[in-house]
Amino acid sequence: MLELRKVTKQFGGLTALQDVEFTVETGELVALVGPNGAGKSTLFNIIAGAFPPTGGAVIFKGTDVTGYSSHGLARLGVARTFQQTTLFGEQTALENVLHGLHRHLPARLVAGLLELPSYRREQREVERRALGVLELLGIAAYRDAIAADLPLGIQKLLTVAIALATEPVLLLLDEPAAGLSHDEATRMMNLVASEIRQRCTVLLVEHNMRIVAGWCDRAVVLHFGQKIYDGTPDGLTRDQRVVDAYLGVAEIG
Amino acid sequence: MKRGLLTLVVAALALLPPLGAPYVLHVAIVVLVHVVYAQALYIIMRMGYLSFGHAGYIALGGYTSALLATKLAISPWIGFVAGGIVAALLAWALGAVTLKLRGIYFSLSVFAFAEVVNAVFRAFEFFGGPAGIAAVPRPGLFGARLNTHLQFYYVVLAVTLISVVFLYRLQWTRFGFTLLSLRTSATEALAESIGINAARHKTLAFVASCFFCGVMGAVHVHYLRFVSPFVFTFFLSTDLMVYVMVGGLGSFWGPMLGTVLLTGLGEQLFAAGYYKSLVYAVVLLVVILALPGGLISLPHVFRRGAATERATPAAEVAAPRER
Amino acid sequence: MDLYLHLVTQALAIGLLTGILYVLIALGLTLIYGILHIVNFAHGEIYMLGAMGVFYLYVVFKLPFVVTLLAILLLSVLLGLVVERTVFRSLRGQWLQLVVASVGLSLIIQSLAWVAFGIQEKNVPSTFTGVVSFGGIRLPTERLVAATVGVVLVAILYVLVYRTKVGLAMRAIEEDEETARMLGINADRVAALACAVGFALAALAGAFVAPIYSLNPGMGLEPILMSFLIIIVGGLGSITGTVLAGLLVGVIQSVGAVLFGAEAAYGLVFVVMIVVLVFRPSGLLGRA
Repeated sequence: MLELRKVTKQFGGLTALQDVEFTVETGELVALVGPNGAGKSTLFNIIAGAFPPTGGAVIFKGTDVTGYSSHGLARLGVARTFQQTTLFGEQTALENVLHGLHRHLPARLVAGLLELPSYRREQREVERRALGVLELLGIAAYRDAIAADLPLGIQKLLTVAIALATEPVLLLLDEPAAGLSHDEATRMMNLVASEIRQRCTVLLVEHNMRIVAGWCDRAVVLHFGQKIYDGTPDGLTRDQRVVDAYLGVAEIG
Repeated sequence: MKRGLLTLVVAALALLPPLGAPYVLHVAIVVLVHVVYAQALYIIMRMGYLSFGHAGYIALGGYTSALLATKLAISPWIGFVAGGIVAALLAWALGAVTLKLRGIYFSLSVFAFAEVVNAVFRAFEFFGGPAGIAAVPRPGLFGARLNTHLQFYYVVLAVTLISVVFLYRLQWTRFGFTLLSLRTSATEALAESIGINAARHKTLAFVASCFFCGVMGAVHVHYLRFVSPFVFTFFLSTDLMVYVMVGGLGSFWGPMLGTVLLTGLGEQLFAAGYYKSLVYAVVLLVVILALPGGLISLPHVFRRGAATERATPAAEVAAPRER
Repeated sequence: MDLYLHLVTQALAIGLLTGILYVLIALGLTLIYGILHIVNFAHGEIYMLGAMGVFYLYVVFKLPFVVTLLAILLLSVLLGLVVERTVFRSLRGQWLQLVVASVGLSLIIQSLAWVAFGIQEKNVPSTFTGVVSFGGIRLPTERLVAATVGVVLVAILYVLVYRTKVGLAMRAIEEDEETARMLGINADRVAALACAVGFALAALAGAFVAPIYSLNPGMGLEPILMSFLIIIVGGLGSITGTVLAGLLVGVIQSVGAVLFGAEAAYGLVFVVMIVVLVFRPSGLLGRA
């Protein structure tokens, strides 16, 4: 489904990514791993369309989408969450999810201005679907709470809900468990590995090995912008290069 | 309850005026005109863009209609719409470039635009130069020109009601709802990631805002029967901004509240000349420092429960669209 | 043709001189923006106050020119410190309210100025009369002196920002305020200093412009508009960008006025700004 060919990214004189190549097959749950500064976020941003790579190509469902804008990619079925929990802060949880659903609906401006009955029916239907997404993630109880007031664990679930509302085929999760307690993280990952991966392919960024090992089919390890491992989580802990990379960083850091 | 109140207000606006003296009608006209300007500006400010150049688009609308009426004897009714269209077209052209800019770049470029518009009008005789265009006719209805204050008041009222109703309803459409997602650069990034074409939405909102400014600008000019580069200046742009900020960005009715209060106050102070600006500025600073959500947030501040319309925390609106 | 060329060259030279004054004002704006993240709309009013100050101190009270300049320098620094402490500091971080507050400030100062100074235009006699000729180009001495002082001030600013510890602190805060604070830099004090320096630059520019143009309380609008255009073209936060853009705008305005008329020159500068923005949205040397 997703293929990266020789993706390279330079910022000024700094090379963040160098000839990164790997694929993600439909239905997989893949983790993008690496110590801080390895280039995970940069690669993630490139796949999500935040900025284009300096070199190389991103192929999504057979089409070259290199350089597509993030909203263009979203319309093709790519959705993402952000490392910094980003929400529509002063709106309710339900309204947040509604934003995600709107991409499926035509604008129907005139109908909206006149508040035609058919429009109102559509709105009720959309709200039902939004509630459904909240229920899927177990946070339907918070539907009328202001997003900014929610506890972090619920907020992170909400960010996933918003992305899911777009009905993506590829879901990019940027450190979904960051900042969560052990239990919250487990709950999140259980959801990802069950309900969510039934609906779409998942690529997540994570540096918590327990999560990678516990739930993911495959792991791709980056170090200083280069791929140094691509395989099962089990093999990861035994791969010499990965161990060196983490130990090496640990020594410097 | 709200519907009842609104009906009452509209009824009062429609039925009371024949009882008023021409001066009162003049004030009412000025207030209504500025209400539309302020509500139009509100749409832009709600998206996190501070526009100091709305006077430029107002001027475009006004001049368009004045030129059509004086040079081509075209009916002001058409002129009103033409003014709106011209303003909207330029908003669309410039919006494409300027809305991509981060917050303050946008403000500065729109500010510059308005100044250039006035400079162009000042420079060329075609636009009447510094003296402007005089003898701009009032619109006619059933053969007679609407020359009295009372008659024109109803024109202004009609345009105001149409504009305000449209802008209000716009908020409740999907388009209006989506605009809420574009308030800061962070939420805009989030919006883009779920498929919302932020640039297109912002441009459309900007175009809509400037359209109404252009229409009302034309109406305004036909009321004054005159237009010049010194009518729609930077001071108008800042006045509008003051009305919106003092009224409050949290609710659709905020700008209206601010406009009615301050314009009314302003007309009283007008005799004092430059003191009007001083009072406005002081009021503005006091509100900014003490009540960031504007006057409309007063009940929200006193009642820490849910308000009928959620007031926007000022910080959320103020988050910088940069870095 | 020869006359035309001569006029244009003359305009170019004058444009450079005017450009330097624009640079002074724009630099003050850039400095305040970089450190405090405020676009100080009141900047034009400070410039006006500097010019008015020269009128009242030098012409009305007949103080020596140097004393006048020192007084204006001191007063503007003081005003900068006061404004930063009372208005800007309490609104730190709230971009929208800060801009709005600076507009309010600008309105207050202007209104008070109209009341205090009246509508009649004032004139300050030239301290340096005469004209200097460089191979056919005639430059009024007054402008030449003003420009020279301007260049000196810009040079001092460069030294301040790039060669002193304070300047280092300023650049650190501009880069990343939180980290700078964590490293022990007193951001509040640096902010106050930046504001003071910014105000001083504007006031001094006004002071040197006083003998050249006629003065009225509304004279701050055009320079601040130009400064905004300059900053957008040069890039917010970039000193070199501001200098280059300032000179460029001065030249375009001057040459444009000769070729197309004064008002059209305005439009020309605006068009240039739009063109620059289309290709480089952060300005010529701005940071993305």
